[in-house]
Amino acid sequence: MADVILTDVRKSYGHVVAVENFNLAVKDHEFVVLVGPSGCGKSTTLRMIAGLEELSGGTIAIGGRVVNHLQPKDRDVAMVFQNYALYPHMSVRDNLAFGLRNRRVPDADIDAAIKRAARILSIEPLLDRRPRQLSGGQQQRVALGRCIVRNPKVFLFDEPLSNLDAQLRAQMRLELKELRQRVPTTSIFVTHDQVEAMTLGDRIVVMKDGLVLQVGTPLELYRKPANRFVAGFIGSPAMNFIDVRVTAEADHFVLTGAGIRFVLASTLFARLGPRVGHTVCIGVRPQHLRLGAPTGADQVGFKGPLMVSEQLGDEQNLAVRVGEQDLRIAGIDPDLNLAAGSEIEVSAAADSLHFFDAVAGEQL
Amino acid sequence: MSGTAIAQAEPPGFFAGLAPDGKRVLFTLATIAICFLFAFPVLWLVLTSLRPGSGVYYVHRGTEFTIDNFHEVLSQTIVLKALFNSFMISTVATVFSLGVTATSGYMLSRFTGAVPNAWFSTIYIFRCVPYVSWVLPLYFVTQRLGIFDTYWGLLLPHVAVHICFFSWIMKGFFDGIDPSMEYAAMIDGCSRWGAFWRVAMPAAIPGLTALAILCWLYTWNEFLFALILTSHETPILTVVMAQFVHELGMEWHLMSATAVLALGPALIVTLFGQKYVLRGLKV
Repeated sequence: MADVILTDVRKSYGHVVAVENFNLAVKDHEFVVLVGPSGCGKSTTLRMIAGLEELSGGTIAIGGRVVNHLQPKDRDVAMVFQNYALYPHMSVRDNLAFGLRNRRVPDADIDAAIKRAARILSIEPLLDRRPRQLSGGQQQRVALGRCIVRNPKVFLFDEPLSNLDAQLRAQMRLELKELRQRVPTTSIFVTHDQVEAMTLGDRIVVMKDGLVLQVGTPLELYRKPANRFVAGFIGSPAMNFIDVRVTAEADHFVLTGAGIRFVLASTLFARLGPRVGHTVCIGVRPQHLRLGAPTGADQVGFKGPLMVSEQLGDEQNLAVRVGEQDLRIAGIDPDLNLAAGSEIEVSAAADSLHFFDAVAGEQL
Repeated sequence: MSGTAIAQAEPPGFFAGLAPDGKRVLFTLATIAICFLFAFPVLWLVLTSLRPGSGVYYVHRGTEFTIDNFHEVLSQTIVLKALFNSFMISTVATVFSLGVTATSGYMLSRFTGAVPNAWFSTIYIFRCVPYVSWVLPLYFVTQRLGIFDTYWGLLLPHVAVHICFFSWIMKGFFDGIDPSMEYAAMIDGCSRWGAFWRVAMPAAIPGLTALAILCWLYTWNEFLFALILTSHETPILTVVMAQFVHELGMEWHLMSATAVLALGPALIVTLFGQKYVLRGLKV
């Protein structure tokens, strides 16, 4: 078991910078998720930790030891790949034993480790099969088993669930959480799926264009996103963003945009003071909007025609046209019949609003 | 009157106009015709090899058959020696070529940088050079090196040609193998070489088998290098066969018998290996 510390890690391919100024301290037994869109550098970072990519700058330390110049086999990490990367010419048993045999572990210990891993993952009946005879979910379990038997310092996961169908993915998410409780090991998990990040991670690292945008617990990221990108990336459906112009009147600010006008008390929203005369971006989560007009001064309202409704069974999501854009509203009673085109009024608590710089995107 | 529109009758297609099962019969006949086209020369060769010397020009009329031609060619030391040499050269060239093309193809598939690029350019250039233009320089080179008319003198040019032609095919095989497996092996305790040897190579076995068969057949059938780079010391079957055409005439019956003997191993390799070739080339 060990902590993983990345200091000023940098990776470039010629003039193309893949990862820049990456700093992160993963605590012992912590489960950290790197999340971001394709090409953001999250897999490259993971591969650098595994030793599959050379660093262009910075250091990586595992268990207090700098591993920059160590071969992957000497770093004592185990990795699960997106496509499982099982050895097709070996049985499941040999796949599990491969890493231990390479380390010249006695046969009796290998058998015991395989039995333990197979029991944890319920793959005992599959041990004599070849990988091609297994379903996607079973292959995934074997790939996890290959990590468990080694009992490494760190588990690395490179989008391990993305090849599974939606139902199996949800099931494997739960199994991964259970596995964590039974095999508590420092883990770094890469995904582009914010649901996986939110459900699995103790902490989440949001990346974009090779940079770390925010590091925090799932709730911190959801409630206090550092910038517009994180706010839009975390949460489903995605946060609504509206550009408005701020003007000051007596004891309040007036925010106006296409089809929008509401006021906010200047004592409660003093951070808008420096933005008077400028445009800011308001963010409001679909879950924080409710049907109906504002009922007090601590609420803001939006009005517009209903464009579409999405029936999910336990709830429905709406899209209401406000000005020139659609506002998504989640968690609406599924039995409510709303005709497309009908005028809808929605409101949100003023303190649930997020404010971002309209250009830089930073939270105000 | 109802205004029901009547669809314009389409003229029936060629196959629709045939009697029931006509399409199947037509395809069967076409298949038989194509098979016959390819099998006929082989059939004629076998028939000629079984005819006496006097009957080779009347293969379609004569009724006299004999296996004396086989006795005669097999009693000639040069034919036996050529059979052995051809077998040895084909097998050894295949082993050498696979050893080099596997590593060469792997490098082209997995690595980038100056060395792989230079290697890629080299084999590309050699591939572009017409095969026949290598023969005369190779004759002088083998003479100068003192390996003319020896195994080495024929093996090395064959291996060189195989490397140029088969490295690309091998690269394709390795391109089809997920490199994650090798990364997993490296994390599991293998070196880069160990990951290649213990994970990539076993996964490439269908491709390697296909290539081995193609290599072997290619060398077994090769004529031009064998003609120019060998002489009496190292007779090769394809050249010995051609030597039945001489100033006194053409001994078609003996040439055919030798050709049928040469056909045997090639046929066995082809029949044994066709499923591997098909599977390997699909990788």
